[in-house]
Amino acid sequence: MIDPIFPTDNYQLARKLLDASVLRHEAIATNIANAETPGFRRLDIAPDFGAQLKASMAAGNLARTVGSLRPQLVEDPTSRSVRPDGNTVEIERELMAMNRNTVEYDFLSQVVTNNIKQMKMAITGRAV
Amino acid sequence: MNLISGIDVTAGALNAQKTRLDVVAQNIANAQTTRGPNGGPYQRLQVSFETELVKRTASGGATLQSVRVASITPDRTVGQQVHNPQHPDAGPDGMVTMPNVNMSYEMVDLITASRAYEANLSVVKNARQMAMKALEIGR
Repeated sequence: MIDPIFPTDNYQLARKLLDASVLRHEAIATNIANAETPGFRRLDIAPDFGAQLKASMAAGNLARTVGSLRPQLVEDPTSRSVRPDGNTVEIERELMAMNRNTVEYDFLSQVVTNNIKQMKMAITGRAV
Repeated sequence: MNLISGIDVTAGALNAQKTRLDVVAQNIANAQTTRGPNGGPYQRLQVSFETELVKRTASGGATLQSVRVASITPDRTVGQQVHNPQHPDAGPDGMVTMPNVNMSYEMVDLITASRAYEANLSVVKNARQMAMKALEIGR
């Protein structure tokens, strides 16, 4: 039996979180595009995605269950409108979230890169 | 799947904001135009937006929505009356109806539109940075 090449939890987690990061960026793009649409409610990743990820980490079966976890977009249930048109987007908050998300994406792709480099080093026996 | 995520949403918004800027420019340019193609004074135009469903994401859930220009409609309110009997468009009582362009409304609109444009542009910039980072994976 051949083990998967990248079985570590960190690698699997980083892969899934990269997907979530891209989805979050799309949500933020939608929010900023609709910053002036009356009645628009801001989108975000469903909060239960993080909970599911944490649960499968704690249960120790991340490698098997991670494939079935799918981040979803939902209307942010916690956001409140302070504007007369009922729009719940605050542009400053979105820009902050976007920058934070980009840094998170950079970090996660670095984690993936380091995993691959480690594997390369193990195969070739020299630093790459 | 796009290499640069969210680009189709942002593109719609950029387009809509640019149309709004164009209309503001036209309103300001015609702030003193007392005779348009229909013979009357210029009437300021206003842009209204509507949402446009772009796509449902692969994992289901809420839909991504973009923005597009719904309509460009003239503002029908009557402009200011100015007493100027020498003016070629003056009525028999010497009053000229000026366009209903209000410069402060236009300036506010101008600034709002350009700030919204900038915000959308920074979304594209970040998406591009993310795509470049993804291309660097493994290097």
